[in-house]
Amino acid sequence: MTSFLIRRLVYGALLMLGVVVLNFLLIRMAPGDPAVVIAGEMGGASEEMLAAIRQDYGLTEPLIVQLGIYLGNVLRGDLGQSFFFNQSVVSLIAQRIGPTILLVLSAQVLSIVIGTALGVLAARKPSGLLSGLVSVFATIGYAVPVFWTGIMLIILFASVLPVFPVEGMASIKLRDAPWIIRAADIAHHLVLPAFTLAIIYLAQYARLSRASMMEVLGADYIRTARAKGTPERTVLFHHALRNAALPILTVAGLQFGNLISGALLVETVFNWPGMGRLAFDSILRRDYPTIMGVLFFASAMVVVANILTDLSYRLADPRLRGGA
Amino acid sequence: MSLLQIDQLRVTFQTRHGAVTALDGVSLSLNAGETLAVVGESGCGKSITALSVMGLISSPPGRIAGGAVRLAGEDLTHASEARLRAVRGAEVAMIFQEPMTSLNPVLTVGDQIAEAILLHQDMTRSEAWTQAVALLDRVGIPSAAARAKDYPHQLSGGMRQRVMIAMAVSCRPKVLIADEPTTALDVTVQAQIFDLLNEMQRDFGVAIMLITHDMGAVSEMADRVAVMYAGRVIESGAADDVLDAARHPYTRGLIGCIPSVDHGGALAEIPGVVPPLHLLGAGCAFAERCAHVREGCRLARPELQGGAHSVACFGAQEGWV
Repeated sequence: MTSFLIRRLVYGALLMLGVVVLNFLLIRMAPGDPAVVIAGEMGGASEEMLAAIRQDYGLTEPLIVQLGIYLGNVLRGDLGQSFFFNQSVVSLIAQRIGPTILLVLSAQVLSIVIGTALGVLAARKPSGLLSGLVSVFATIGYAVPVFWTGIMLIILFASVLPVFPVEGMASIKLRDAPWIIRAADIAHHLVLPAFTLAIIYLAQYARLSRASMMEVLGADYIRTARAKGTPERTVLFHHALRNAALPILTVAGLQFGNLISGALLVETVFNWPGMGRLAFDSILRRDYPTIMGVLFFASAMVVVANILTDLSYRLADPRLRGGA
Repeated sequence: MSLLQIDQLRVTFQTRHGAVTALDGVSLSLNAGETLAVVGESGCGKSITALSVMGLISSPPGRIAGGAVRLAGEDLTHASEARLRAVRGAEVAMIFQEPMTSLNPVLTVGDQIAEAILLHQDMTRSEAWTQAVALLDRVGIPSAAARAKDYPHQLSGGMRQRVMIAMAVSCRPKVLIADEPTTALDVTVQAQIFDLLNEMQRDFGVAIMLITHDMGAVSEMADRVAVMYAGRVIESGAADDVLDAARHPYTRGLIGCIPSVDHGGALAEIPGVVPPLHLLGAGCAFAERCAHVREGCRLARPELQGGAHSVACFGAQEGWV
């Protein structure tokens, strides 16, 4: 287990190195003077500013030396300076990564828990009403674009049924309230964006777990469990779901990257102060250092998520433990 | 009165071809402590019979359309699901054909045995675990305490079938149904499993219903035999009688299929296959494959008659087979 973890961490580090090199090359491949590109095309970059950038990034040196300097900067935790926001990219992202992680994890948990529960219930009676409803809902949820769902939910909850806030992450008037009230306030704000982001994956997990459960429920070991007098609920959740969960885990790990890119749209629609909003704003302003910083951290989140997926997969399936 | 009495059991399945009758008036009886072999080719209804006793016919598409399964006098076909759960594992236990796939891959074998114990006996978890280890030791698994923590994929096929047997006898059932318990195993392991089953019967006094298509297994294990064909019992009697003086042409065919060392040449076979159940006509289901068939065989279906060694064949009943 330990050697597996070490190996995965080394792979993860190599992957991040690849992301950094790609980042570096992207800027160099952009047309024009890299210094101007880095400074951002706001037209406001003064000659001194450009000179400072050339100095910082060693732009007069050969490409390989530039790469070395860039890697050194990244290793020291320096991802450059956003000239639009006028602060370092790392501090910009540090302020916004929390809300994004909160949103993405909530959506992930919401979609896995509800999706799997729906799939399990549907699999119990494959030709029943609930099973049909789950299929219809899954197809719709799968087909509808996430920003459209968001806008529809905003319309619904802004005017028709104003139960959930449709904008932002916290109410300003509660700024000085005790932490528990602020947490509840954030959770309240979280409902719509998290659900919007979750719905497509929720639909996917419902379909997947329905199919997976139906396959597992036909397995010989389920018959064995029933033959020893196991109550149906234990058969479903103890014997069947643990096996049926394996493909769900795999897909959940693979989907994590998509979830992060989905968060970009959802954060924009709901004005959620996270990394997605930051990416959106900096793309509009051609704020390259910030875009690259967001890319770097989003990649890091995906790499971490994949390592966690592999770990949980091994915990869930004893056949993968030991040896390889 | 027999311990387990199956009376005129009818089971139907809803299929694309309409309702087919998988079991058509099957009657069997199993006395305490004896071994009854239920013999027949694939698709003749042996496993359906076993699953009906357990109340495990998946419904839909299956349905018990008539008859009764009486365990010590109690009709299980009308028992509640809760009552059936209490019977399963505790009074009637079952061993399946495929030890490779019959154990849950994500649970340790010790846990799976302990679960059966906890379901039916008033014990703590650690007591049940201790009991599970003792059972594994009892069925001949070396260093049982360590093996109990293994997952099924870490054990060989023979070991897994031993685990299944340990699980089946864990609550001292009165009836043990073994559905082709050795089909998937090597020949040397088969003999070990039969020995183990015989031992379990001696030690626990359990009655065994052995479902098999292997006449060799019958001669080794069974006190009595029931031969099934296309959802009906076509011959039944004491194992020695049936093996030495089979009356039905089909049973003779099955016995003829046993390979023997001193009999060289090609193996005997029964020509043709079991007809699809939805294509069964009014006559004897074996007529199409029978060397002795006469016109009357295709018109009416012979009933099982003849006392202790009974047969459902006009030819055998009238003496021209």
